[in-house]
Amino acid sequence: MKSNSFVERTIIGGLSFLKDAISAQDYALKAGFLQSLDPGAKIITFLLLILQALFSTRISTLFWLYLFCLALAFFSKINLWFFLKRTWIFIPLFSLFIAIPALFGPGDPWLIVNLAGARLIITRQGSFAAAIFVIRLLTCLSWVVLLGLTTKHFVLLKALRIFGIPQIFIMVLGMTYRYIYLFIGIVQNTYLAIKSRIGCGVKYQPGQEIVAWNIAGLWYRSVGMNEEVYKAMLSRGWSGQALSWDEFKLRAKDGWWFLLVGVLLWIIWFLK
Amino acid sequence: MDNLVFEIKDVHFSYLSKFPALCGISLGIKQGQKISIVGANGSGKSTFLQLLDGLIFADRGTVNFYGKSLSPKAFIDLKFSREFRQSVGFIFQNSDVQLFCPTVKEDIVFGPLQLGLPKDIIQGRLDKLCAALKLDGLLDRPPYQLSAGEKRKVAIATTLISEPQVLILDEPTAGLDPLTTRVIIDLLVRENESGKTIITATHDLHIVEEISDLVYVFGQQRSIVKRGPAETIINDAALLEANNLVHIHSHRHKDKVHAHPHLHSEHRIGEH
Repeated sequence: MKSNSFVERTIIGGLSFLKDAISAQDYALKAGFLQSLDPGAKIITFLLLILQALFSTRISTLFWLYLFCLALAFFSKINLWFFLKRTWIFIPLFSLFIAIPALFGPGDPWLIVNLAGARLIITRQGSFAAAIFVIRLLTCLSWVVLLGLTTKHFVLLKALRIFGIPQIFIMVLGMTYRYIYLFIGIVQNTYLAIKSRIGCGVKYQPGQEIVAWNIAGLWYRSVGMNEEVYKAMLSRGWSGQALSWDEFKLRAKDGWWFLLVGVLLWIIWFLK
Repeated sequence: MDNLVFEIKDVHFSYLSKFPALCGISLGIKQGQKISIVGANGSGKSTFLQLLDGLIFADRGTVNFYGKSLSPKAFIDLKFSREFRQSVGFIFQNSDVQLFCPTVKEDIVFGPLQLGLPKDIIQGRLDKLCAALKLDGLLDRPPYQLSAGEKRKVAIATTLISEPQVLILDEPTAGLDPLTTRVIIDLLVRENESGKTIITATHDLHIVEEISDLVYVFGQQRSIVKRGPAETIINDAALLEANNLVHIHSHRHKDKVHAHPHLHSEHRIGEH
């Protein structure tokens, strides 16, 4: 049943967004092609492919890169409809709006539109620039989403070390990631507890108060937990030095993957 | 006295210097002993355990570990700090506090990594623990996806992997189902038989006999009201009632109503 309460819809919407992020992690656990690669190798090659997309000025190159991305998604056992929804909704659509002014930029007239007495000239160069912008964004975004879907979030965080990001930073991010989900549960249960006492409808004004209490309550809990977690770390020997258990190992399959991407990039460069 | 692990003399502690939590605690804990601290909520059990683990320090009085005073100054010495953290393991009441890493495996290896143990030794201990506690399927999972019983088992594993000589447990069976409770009790008994000192705070009197040679009762005055063998303490109904550890239960036998102190026996498997 759809709720009419703004507060309830906001809380449930926010929580379901975060929970979707968790459920998307299921793809990272599937036995697909990209899931079987070393995360470090995957990050480096994806970065090269994204850079290639960023510097490509040909629509055909971007098209083939996008198609390659979709093929990899398919071989990584990702539902293509789910993948397209993730990549097409929001960012490319918003980029379309951003690209609209470019259509009327300087260049050879291609299409003339009369709109409420105003004469708008869409230029060939403007259209090309807008198309390149949208397709480039879509391609880059698709690669980023594909990386996120096929790699466990915490592994992705750990793999950031190959770019020299300090271990302590990665550790803090990892802990933040771990506790976000705990606090999601607390917010959800708090809201259910309130609902069980005051009924299903929460009006706007009292709803704002409830949200404010919730934020304050969560703040107190997080501060208390922060102290406890620090004690738990101390108890297990924490001395301020972040150490991690890295298990990244390049295998033959990763070598073949590097070769494939290298050949692809060379072909693009050669054709250019 | 020889083989005295902890020697506590007239310890006082208060939170924010105005909320007393411990008032004049004195006791000694010998190597290989099983000690239980029982008391109602707010009697200072958890505070006492944190003092033993060097997470907080006494306002007045002394806590000695093998003759060395536990003070903030003592922990500045990295060698002593490491030796102490390796020798004393603490299992927190709230497993969510103890499991702060993105995955179970990283949580378990956190302690030994901090203590500077070589990776092959850590891996060997991890394999052994996984087999003993049946954790194999959980290693790559994030802690927020675990059940309460699984979290508690993992929390115990995070401590056992450092092979401490002293195990301190804060309410190890609180909120657990009978089967998991049994697994944990059996584990504690086994660890004690292998020579470890076990110190447990609990208000679950059903597990006390099995996990204690000696029981200390903490009262609402935040001090020790009685000490003695588990059997003596458990059978002292007046003492338990005075310290909120049992409640009077009345029920009917045919036409007669009678009342007696009542212990819940849900953790005793096979008993009715």
